[in-house]
Amino acid sequence: MTALPRLSTVLLAAITTLVAVLLYSPLAVPIVSSFFTIAHGNVDWSSPTLATYVALAENHDILAALRTTLIVGVCTVVLSVVSGTLLALYYHSRRSGRSLLQFIIFLPFLMPPIISGLALLIFFREIGLERSLLTVVIGHTVFVLAIVYRTVLMRLQSMSRTLVEASYDLGATSWQTFWRIVLPNLSSAMVGGAILAFALSFDETMITILVTGTQSTLPVRLWAMMRLGFSPDINALVALILMFTVLLCVLAARFLIPRQVATERT
Amino acid sequence: MSGPGTIPLAERRWSLLVTALAFALPVVFVLVPLAIFLGYSFFSVDQGTIVHTLSLGNYFRFFTDPIFLPVFWNTIVLCLSVAAICILLAYPAAYFLTTLKGRWRYALLMLLLVPLLMSYVIKIYAIRSILGLNGFLNKALVGLGILQEPSTLFVFNMNAILLTLTLLLIPFAILPIFLSLERIPQVLLRASDDLGASGLQTFLRITLPLSLPGVASAASFVFVLAIGDFLTPQMVGGISGFTFGRILYSQFGTAYNWPFGAALSVALAVVVIAAILVGERFGRNRGTAI
Repeated sequence: MTALPRLSTVLLAAITTLVAVLLYSPLAVPIVSSFFTIAHGNVDWSSPTLATYVALAENHDILAALRTTLIVGVCTVVLSVVSGTLLALYYHSRRSGRSLLQFIIFLPFLMPPIISGLALLIFFREIGLERSLLTVVIGHTVFVLAIVYRTVLMRLQSMSRTLVEASYDLGATSWQTFWRIVLPNLSSAMVGGAILAFALSFDETMITILVTGTQSTLPVRLWAMMRLGFSPDINALVALILMFTVLLCVLAARFLIPRQVATERT
Repeated sequence: MSGPGTIPLAERRWSLLVTALAFALPVVFVLVPLAIFLGYSFFSVDQGTIVHTLSLGNYFRFFTDPIFLPVFWNTIVLCLSVAAICILLAYPAAYFLTTLKGRWRYALLMLLLVPLLMSYVIKIYAIRSILGLNGFLNKALVGLGILQEPSTLFVFNMNAILLTLTLLLIPFAILPIFLSLERIPQVLLRASDDLGASGLQTFLRITLPLSLPGVASAASFVFVLAIGDFLTPQMVGGISGFTFGRILYSQFGTAYNWPFGAALSVALAVVVIAAILVGERFGRNRGTAI
């Protein structure tokens, strides 16, 4: 693609810009309206205000939902990182049934969330588990497990075997090799996977709606409020969440893009 | 002292235990719920309680009732359209990215993918306000003189669902197309150029055919995500925008017929699996390995 004619380059750039505008304009609406008043589709640019942010601090209902979301997110991250890493290690150790196992792990991620959510809903009812934050955490963990598993497995597979072999040659037991060689090499992939898992859990709506009890997470709370329209302080919350999400993305990118570790140089 | 035969036995037991432990969580929380769900589709409901006798009644109702099949079909067409529009927008953008160098290429790719991780519910809400009668889209169209007065063409109907799903899912189309375009060896393009092909000829006869696997994956991703969504149609579809996902969801709410909902889910799963298989079949890269 060295000698693209000028016109087509301009056209392509224009379409790309259009796509970017299409993707970001829905995000711009709440951010702009968190600082300015919007009436009848017109933005009043003359009077920027932080009143929405002040009002947000008073909205206990929303803050409680935010706290619930954070609790669910942290539990989901812990469960999915531990089980995802163990499952990746199992797959990597070439034991029996590994492709079937991988298929089962990927199922909830491939199936529409409504199917995974409803299947869990019926399952919880059959085993007599009341819908609560526990069921939400289980739902989220099942959903994000594939991502953490995949992230860790890819790092495992790119890890040089010579490192492990060297460790054994120097007389380390398999336990020592795991703790001092394998795990440190996996840590950045685990952190990256954890951040992705948290971001997914933070925004998960469809499964949550189906398996949640009386306490709702933030997206579900917002979903319930949306029918009546939002109060302006919700815009402030959205602006804050978007900033937080960008931060998470940047962090995840940092951890997932492989650093120049010793394994690469051998 | 242990004999020579006991160590392999102990090892085999240990290995079996590890396998059982590895399978426990995925089987209990993924496979078993799906199996019970499938089983439910053969039950029925009588006066608000679930009757645990097996029958094909739900499936019979799905195929014979005049409501469900048309909605099912319309939803499939809707989601295929979403996939097509997403690809028409994503392909040029992905192509443009591959013409950029180094850092810029990935920075811009990130920029186009980041909206994926941003609040789904909020995006639906914002798009709804953009599409509304007093929204920015109508204002812009009237302002540009394309429309005389605000139109209800994309307020609470199928068009609104189509536009909203497209805006939400474009990034899912960009990534696979970008990856397949990036994988095309530069040697091929240079060879085509050396042999006297024009830029357009090279694109039509080298780049486009080699990037089709990415297009197939993109179409399958977008289609599957669109057809499984019940929030977007619920929010922007109004009364006329009735999709399969909404009907399915209502079986677990107002209609309260879990077994029938399970049967509808099976129908949905069949379409989704077909879409994934088609995407997988045509999504493989062939002939790019040099």
